[in-house]
Amino acid sequence: MLTKPKMLVVDNDVAILNKCSQLLLGKGFEVRTAQSSKGALQILGKYRREVDILLLSLELPGLGAMSIIEVLKKTKSRILVMAMSADCGEEAIEAIHAGAYDCIRKTFTIERFWTKMDRVVERFTLARQLEILKKQRLSILKKDSYDEDTVRAIMNAIPEGLIVTDHHERIVFYNSKAADLFGLQGDTALGLPIGETLKNADLVSFITESMNLSRSGHSFGHQKVGSVEIGGMMMRVLTNSIEGDNGKTIGSVSMLHDVSQKKTMDQLKGDLVSMVSHELKAPLSALLMQLSVVLDGLAGDITTKQKELLGKAKQRTKRMIALVNDLLDLRRIEEGKAVVEIEPLDLGEILHRSIDIMTLSSKDKNINFDVKIVENLPLLSGDRTGIEAVFVNLISNAIKYTSTGGQVQVELKKAGKDLRLKVVDNGIGIEKGDLDHIFDRFYRIKTEQTKSIGGSGLGLYIVKRVVDAHRGTISVESEVGKGTMFIVSLPLEK
Amino acid sequence: MKKILLVDDDLDFCEATKLILESKAFKVSLAYDGKEGLNMARSEQPDLVILDVMMPEMNGYDVCVVMKADPELNRIPVILLTAVSQEMFKTSFTKEMGLMTEADDYIAKPVEPEELVERIEVLLKREE
Repeated sequence: MLTKPKMLVVDNDVAILNKCSQLLLGKGFEVRTAQSSKGALQILGKYRREVDILLLSLELPGLGAMSIIEVLKKTKSRILVMAMSADCGEEAIEAIHAGAYDCIRKTFTIERFWTKMDRVVERFTLARQLEILKKQRLSILKKDSYDEDTVRAIMNAIPEGLIVTDHHERIVFYNSKAADLFGLQGDTALGLPIGETLKNADLVSFITESMNLSRSGHSFGHQKVGSVEIGGMMMRVLTNSIEGDNGKTIGSVSMLHDVSQKKTMDQLKGDLVSMVSHELKAPLSALLMQLSVVLDGLAGDITTKQKELLGKAKQRTKRMIALVNDLLDLRRIEEGKAVVEIEPLDLGEILHRSIDIMTLSSKDKNINFDVKIVENLPLLSGDRTGIEAVFVNLISNAIKYTSTGGQVQVELKKAGKDLRLKVVDNGIGIEKGDLDHIFDRFYRIKTEQTKSIGGSGLGLYIVKRVVDAHRGTISVESEVGKGTMFIVSLPLEK
Repeated sequence: MKKILLVDDDLDFCEATKLILESKAFKVSLAYDGKEGLNMARSEQPDLVILDVMMPEMNGYDVCVVMKADPELNRIPVILLTAVSQEMFKTSFTKEMGLMTEADDYIAKPVEPEELVERIEVLLKREE
């Protein structure tokens, strides 16, 4: 339902003003008036939405009509301007150029007035109708429920592959992108089990696993993320379970996103990291030797102060070496080589050796070690280097974050079907807020106390990755000022 | 006095390591590439050879293989030095190169002077 346009008449000639107002009011238009350009601008500022058509005298003193037309143009106003002038000469042409709709002579007859006014009103109505149509078209996409064709059109417009299954893992929907990925024709695959249609064992087991997790209530409503290779492309898969009204799993929806390019970039980045790390090792080796030579007085006597400074330099060099090693380990782990070689391992022996190395490097700190390793533990199938990294990182952290003379407790025993390692210290502890992040890559806790402690923020990330690769678990408890306890459980049977 | 031949193309590393080993009462000679190292091993008959793996002319693995195949040299213990990390070394080296080259020990660079000296002493003791 269209309302009548609202009018604003502006003229310093009160006779004209009244004449126009009367005519317009007579036909039921809402009319405002102003006698100066200033007054007009005030009304336009205050009642912007209350004015649709502006009858504007071109013979206003002061700022003048042109400035008003310019303001309207600048603010992209939808107000239509009907100029009024004595003879509609040069000034009228100028006004129309600047955006006025038309011009009317002030000496108008009533008939002439309405001829002009009807046209501008019609113009206004058309513009308004167009707007309403636009809104209606938009609202088709916005309405609450869609018909099937609309849904299909939307899904097909998604640039990712989309596959929906029911709870029997039968395909109930897929979009064009997914059809392309798996070479599915039309609707032929609908109703068939994913195992028969997707022809990609990795993806099928990924979806099945997600559904199983969801059914067992494990990851209710949670999504499972993974990577699967499909037709030479590396795809990131996100699978969510779909819950019915009763909370039961009624199906799954999987989204496939092509990450091949990202993968290539990651590879390049990783190669660069490896290359730089290796290139850094040679100069760092030389530097370490040179510092040792001078420190040991092999290049002449040095003063106490020189010795102190060089000692610090040597410590810094060693930290840098540790960082380079961490970066290389990280690279290896990110390439999915966290578990390189599985062999039966005597964890007791590996732990003894790790502790020996650690105690040697921490003799200045006078840490009191309490080691309990149960004898003759069953062998665990695992990767020696990975397990060593777990032990060394946890113990060296315990030492690092414990003050001089502190206590570190290490215990290894069999617990049910697991081997369990416990590393406890009475060090500075970890804030609750930090606990959630300590296994994140490059995460380091920044406090006054940790400022002077070196590290790359990779140690625990590596530990977590190795433990995961062995299908084990790691947990941590900590209290600030009291200490920290890490527990690693590694299953004996896979 | 035991004679050690250090073969490494990093001159700074050689110079510093030589001073450290000399301070532990070893006699040290230096070679800066694989070929030169092999020649010196023949001419000087050292008690132990330390070989960097990545070198111009002839790399450390090759020098080691030649030494171990030569009846005149195969009793001299060889330590391979590499910038490859300890971990990568274990998996790539011990399985393949280690078996092939028959090196007596390997050390990942950077190495602590004390550790280098310790490893040298262990190998020399074994020879006695």
